[in-house]
Amino acid sequence: MGTGIEGLWPFHAGEKTVTDRTDVDATLRALLADVLGLGEARAAALTADSGLFGELPEFDSMAVATVLTEMEDRLGILIDDDEIDGEIFETYGNLLAFSQAKVTG
Amino acid sequence: MTEHHLRIDPAGAPRATILIVPPLFEEANRTRRTLVLAMRALAAQGFAALLPDLAGQNDSLVALEDVDLARWRSELAAIKIDGPLIIVSVRGGALIDHAVQAAAWWRLAPAGGASLLRTLMRARVSADREAGLATSLESLQAEARSAPLLLAGNRLSPAMVAQLGGAEPQPVEPLRTVALGADGILGTPLWLRAEPGEDAAMAGTIADDIAAWSTTCGIG
Repeated sequence: MGTGIEGLWPFHAGEKTVTDRTDVDATLRALLADVLGLGEARAAALTADSGLFGELPEFDSMAVATVLTEMEDRLGILIDDDEIDGEIFETYGNLLAFSQAKVTG
Repeated sequence: MTEHHLRIDPAGAPRATILIVPPLFEEANRTRRTLVLAMRALAAQGFAALLPDLAGQNDSLVALEDVDLARWRSELAAIKIDGPLIIVSVRGGALIDHAVQAAAWWRLAPAGGASLLRTLMRARVSADREAGLATSLESLQAEARSAPLLLAGNRLSPAMVAQLGGAEPQPVEPLRTVALGADGILGTPLWLRAEPGEDAAMAGTIADDIAAWSTTCGIG
């Protein structure tokens, strides 16, 4: 479908990299919705203070692992083991800040 | 060792048989219900649909640590089918589907072995950290060279870990590869889900797309 609208959805096109800060936010919300089964409304309602690991019952260690691998795929970044500490998954704001730093960094 | 097969037959003689190669490990459980819904939809369109248990998975009596990708490939290749065969593989299933003699292949969101392995290892690292253990991806890689490794409930042999780390979907002909999204199948990536779900609409779309591909390939 050559409508030109594909460019608005960079995370559906494997090779394209998400560079815009708003795109990172949208990509991350969609990703959490996919992994945690949040549904669009709950994903859209996440704020910087929304708790993730330890707060959302669906967010277990397997979900953490899945989120990390999907972040790499969809944001076009590589995440090193050493960069991950518990704080990143404490709140949505922390996860977003980490992702934006990786994408622009 | 004979594994269970789930088979759904159409009302009359089948147009062709669809052999479903499921995703690997936990992803198989997360997608099974929707794949079986797709099998029912395929049977309604005149196809026989077959979903085999891979050794060490689902109801198999084989220990997972005795299994590797090479064994899965050869066991799938040994399945005998009368009439034309179409292989439908999902995610990690695409890593083991190429040794089968088939008339066509259809792959949904194929996954690289390294990416699947990385996720399993990360789940172990994350769980270990909660328990106060300093595990890393590097220490797990080293451990996996000499002994089976327990990753998110899956005990994987050194051979399995080594093969997964280098496995990519292999070229086959004729092949249709479909991703999720507007240009492929509209639906949810259930294989990522932390909790089980189903997507009946996606199952119907999968069946329609496979049936169309069968026609395109001149199979029936």
